[in-house]
Amino acid sequence: MPDRSAPPPPWTRTLARFRWPLFVAFTCLLPFLLTDVWVQMLVFVALFIVLGLGLNVVVGFAGLLDLGYVAFFAAGAYTMGLLTSPGSPIDAGLDFWLILPIGILIASIVGLLLGLPVLPLRGDYLAIVTLGFGEIIRLFLINRDDLTRGSQGLSAIPRPDLFGYRIDSFTEWFYFVVAAAVVVGFCTSRLRDSRIGRAWEAIREDEDVAAAMGVNTTKYKLLAFASGAAIGGLGGVIYAAFIGFISPAAFSLQVSIDVLAIVIIGGMGSTPGVILGSLILIGVPRILQFRETSDFLANLGWLRDALNGLISALDAATPGSLGRLPPAETWGAQLADDTRFIIFGALLVIIMVVRPSGLWPSSRRRLEFAHDDTPPPAPVTAP
Amino acid sequence: MPVALTLSVSFWSDQFVNGLTTGSLYALIALGYTMVYGVLKMINFAHGEVFMLGSFAGYGALVAMGGNDLSGPAVALAILGAIIVAMSASVSASVVIERLAYRPLRGAPRLAPLISAIGVSIFLQYLVLEQTSARAKFYPDIFPRGALGAGPFEITYIQLFLIASSVAMMALLYAIIQRTRLGRAIRAVAENPTNASLMGVDVNRTIVFVFILGAAMAGVAGVLYGLFFQTIRGSMGFIPGIKAFTAAVLGGIGSIPGAMAGGYVLGLAETVGRELLNELPGVNLGNQWRDVIAFTLLVTILIFRPTGIFAQRSTTRA
Repeated sequence: MPDRSAPPPPWTRTLARFRWPLFVAFTCLLPFLLTDVWVQMLVFVALFIVLGLGLNVVVGFAGLLDLGYVAFFAAGAYTMGLLTSPGSPIDAGLDFWLILPIGILIASIVGLLLGLPVLPLRGDYLAIVTLGFGEIIRLFLINRDDLTRGSQGLSAIPRPDLFGYRIDSFTEWFYFVVAAAVVVGFCTSRLRDSRIGRAWEAIREDEDVAAAMGVNTTKYKLLAFASGAAIGGLGGVIYAAFIGFISPAAFSLQVSIDVLAIVIIGGMGSTPGVILGSLILIGVPRILQFRETSDFLANLGWLRDALNGLISALDAATPGSLGRLPPAETWGAQLADDTRFIIFGALLVIIMVVRPSGLWPSSRRRLEFAHDDTPPPAPVTAP
Repeated sequence: MPVALTLSVSFWSDQFVNGLTTGSLYALIALGYTMVYGVLKMINFAHGEVFMLGSFAGYGALVAMGGNDLSGPAVALAILGAIIVAMSASVSASVVIERLAYRPLRGAPRLAPLISAIGVSIFLQYLVLEQTSARAKFYPDIFPRGALGAGPFEITYIQLFLIASSVAMMALLYAIIQRTRLGRAIRAVAENPTNASLMGVDVNRTIVFVFILGAAMAGVAGVLYGLFFQTIRGSMGFIPGIKAFTAAVLGGIGSIPGAMAGGYVLGLAETVGRELLNELPGVNLGNQWRDVIAFTLLVTILIFRPTGIFAQRSTTRA
């Protein structure tokens, strides 16, 4: 273990204190350096950071496994869609800024309604019930087509105005979603360091002990669930306004699993982990499909020829025959399409086995998973 | 208000038989969930994919043995062969999964094995989807057509075969659990792994056997599913997996007779139950609502009877 008693040089402390403002400032420079497709990709990354931060409250802070997070995302998106799309039967033509709190409220009510009956249950049951609930919501959206127009979806959802200025281009959206992510990140980190956050931590570590210390476990679990749901709803409203079109197909189980994987792979309970996870899981598959990527991969034709040569040699030596590799410039797209999920599944297993605390674990988690003989300092959990 | 059923007797008896048929499949798959949960207190999320692999292995075996050209007594032999191949494929997959993805995580935080299981499930599902180019495969249509029964009460041969072989497999499993040394070891580990190991039970070996038994049942279910529904695809494991888990919870997770009974209750609830709801004025639930009924049933049961509808002995509170 590194010697922690020696004081670090002062400049690292200054850097550490201002790491978040510096990171946000750097992020704000990105649109000047990148082309539009890249900025569009980053909008999605930022949106999934918002969702990841929300689920992080539920899974990372309170240790409740929610496999139906998409339900809250859908609740927010459909609030926006139903109240503003001209195709909706209850189109009220409301303003985005009015719908934002309504969407958050509706999502947290959905969270409370789902959480109230199931939160006294054990964790694994919670996982299955939330999974089932996410599916029910999707089936409901498809089948109640009198309200939601079923799989046709709701279109022409208007974009928001900010002080009379319409948020339209990818760059403007990028700043908008990053601002949302910063607000959410600030709120969740304050929550984590508060009395509520300590109660969540106690529940996550040992529910019985937490209850014995006087933590009202059901109340705090419900609070975690509702906060996570509210952030999911916020993400949904923003998503609907950004894309302008929503249909049940966009709210499949895959979204829940993507967001969960962002939280787990990044490191449960860790904000930088969520950012890293979202860049890897949402950013990389999109980057692989860019023309820049295929242009770059086109240079790898020699590698394809060499590998194909190996395969033909193998074919000649053994009975049966293998397919040849496709042209190098299509590798990125192929990897992004089919193979993405195979790698993704394997990655989940490998990370759990090799690094159960994630790629960038929170400092507390790092202590818990440290493999040394000295017990970690006892966390102060009782509020 | 007296409810007069508007549809005919034969309609209801058909629905009942359909319910028993899907119920048999759910019960067979549910056994794997309930046994693994019994010993490891973990939801084996990849079990639906083990079922799917069994179905594909059985398909491969049937095609290799002649596919649609089979006839006469050869059909019976081919189906038996397919079942054996499917069982071996499911069992080997399950043993590998246990060794690579679950065993290293024993004693890890509660969520870790579950996430790992979700990873295995995604991996296998998309691996098969990619290998089949996401297209469906069709089981050879070799099972004799025709039906038994008189008047409005009828059951097709395939349904009879499916129900009978499921019941036979479950009886066999039940005998293994109750009568053999291995079964006693499994029950001991489920009760308390530490005590069992103090009594000389090899816990790791017993856990592997639990996975083997559960996977064998899932493999049989895979072939039966293929013979009955004919269409199989890489994503076929998900919904039956969730439904079977629901069945296991219905019967009280950890309980083997409970899983069997839960499978049948669920199968009947989503066929007969949906039609009964449709009898109510103003209700018209299409086929897609079957899944909603199953999930709603799961949530309701978990809220009101978390130990399952047939709560037995001192099952710990969910």
